[in-house]
Amino acid sequence: MARIIGGIGTSHVPTIGVAYDKGRQEDPAWAPLFDGYKPVAKWLAEKQPDVLLFFYNDHATTLFFDLYPTFALGVGERFPVADEGAGLRGLPDIRGDVDFQAHIGEALVNDEFDMAFFQNKPIDHGIASPLPLLWPHVPDWPGTVVPIAINVLQYPLPTARRCFRLGQAVRRAVESYPVDLKVVVVGTGGLSHQIHGERTGFNNTDWDHEFLETFRDNPEALTELRHADWVRLGGAESVEQIMWLAMRGALAPKLTEVHRNYYLATTTAMTVVAYEEVAADALPALESELV
Amino acid sequence: MFTQNPQTVGIAELTGTYVFDLRTCNRTLAFNRFFWNMIRPEAREAFWADEEAAMQAAGLNPEEQALVRARDWLGIVQYGVNFFVLEKWARVVKTTNLEVYAIMRGESFEDFMNTRQVPSSR
Repeated sequence: MARIIGGIGTSHVPTIGVAYDKGRQEDPAWAPLFDGYKPVAKWLAEKQPDVLLFFYNDHATTLFFDLYPTFALGVGERFPVADEGAGLRGLPDIRGDVDFQAHIGEALVNDEFDMAFFQNKPIDHGIASPLPLLWPHVPDWPGTVVPIAINVLQYPLPTARRCFRLGQAVRRAVESYPVDLKVVVVGTGGLSHQIHGERTGFNNTDWDHEFLETFRDNPEALTELRHADWVRLGGAESVEQIMWLAMRGALAPKLTEVHRNYYLATTTAMTVVAYEEVAADALPALESELV
Repeated sequence: MFTQNPQTVGIAELTGTYVFDLRTCNRTLAFNRFFWNMIRPEAREAFWADEEAAMQAAGLNPEEQALVRARDWLGIVQYGVNFFVLEKWARVVKTTNLEVYAIMRGESFEDFMNTRQVPSSR
């Protein structure tokens, strides 16, 4: 049986990709970001997941507004990394496992999540920005990706609660696959930032930390937030944090943080957090400790 | 009849924030597509070769053409273009996102960077 062995929340700022490609890992302005990913990369190297299942958004690159899906799952053995206006990056194609992707798609639709599907399409910085900080890519990526794109660009967006429930359905889908695959679920985006209009540059560090605490311990509370609440609290583009809630829905109620890094340099609070599940049989002991 | 999406009530009251929704996109789809096309090398080449011809071919109206000529980043956003297609064109006209951010705030680049926690991060 396939099983989820943990989760990662990560920003997907495109300039992370630019700085990575330019080799600025030691640059004093960038080192706190790149160093912050090293423990997560090490954790992945130790856990050796076969699959990273990404909840991410396409930035109107592969998908345009003439047909922009709310939830779309990618199927393919290879996904090129997209040209977003500045040319191609020197990264190998992202790998996929068609049987597993198709199973997830079938299970989700049969579970009443009516996904759109894309094939033979590139993937943009929604995944490609953080991926090389998580996994090595020389000579090739060590595993496959299930890409699930969520509309966080064109209102109406799916509600926070709907994203959480999508994650719950993804867990059922993963656990109904009869092959022993280890899966880490990844939610991308955030944290606080706004990058359009005169309110550009808005951040809210207090909210970012409150979000991370609530996200870990009481995620259902975050599913109550309307899109306008996310925009007010964290800036317009921080509404994409509803994609973290999809990741959270796929994980157990009780989590521990393996690692957290938070670095706000210019406009986006760049964050990476790794989570492990607290096994159900460990819960009584935990509760007794609290008493 | 206009009906309000309950999820977005309150966003319009946040100064300097613009909701990109179905109605906006319906009005501005061709303009958004013009910027989106910049992911293709041939569209970038065509723009560099003859900006006016590229705008004509894309069917931009006079107001849209004037916004492009003026490199009016804030005006383009206010008109109803999504930032994520606009940033593709920023690459084509060799303008960084940080430079676009400063312009949208009405600040010089150096003044904007000095409002940031790590001004040397660029």
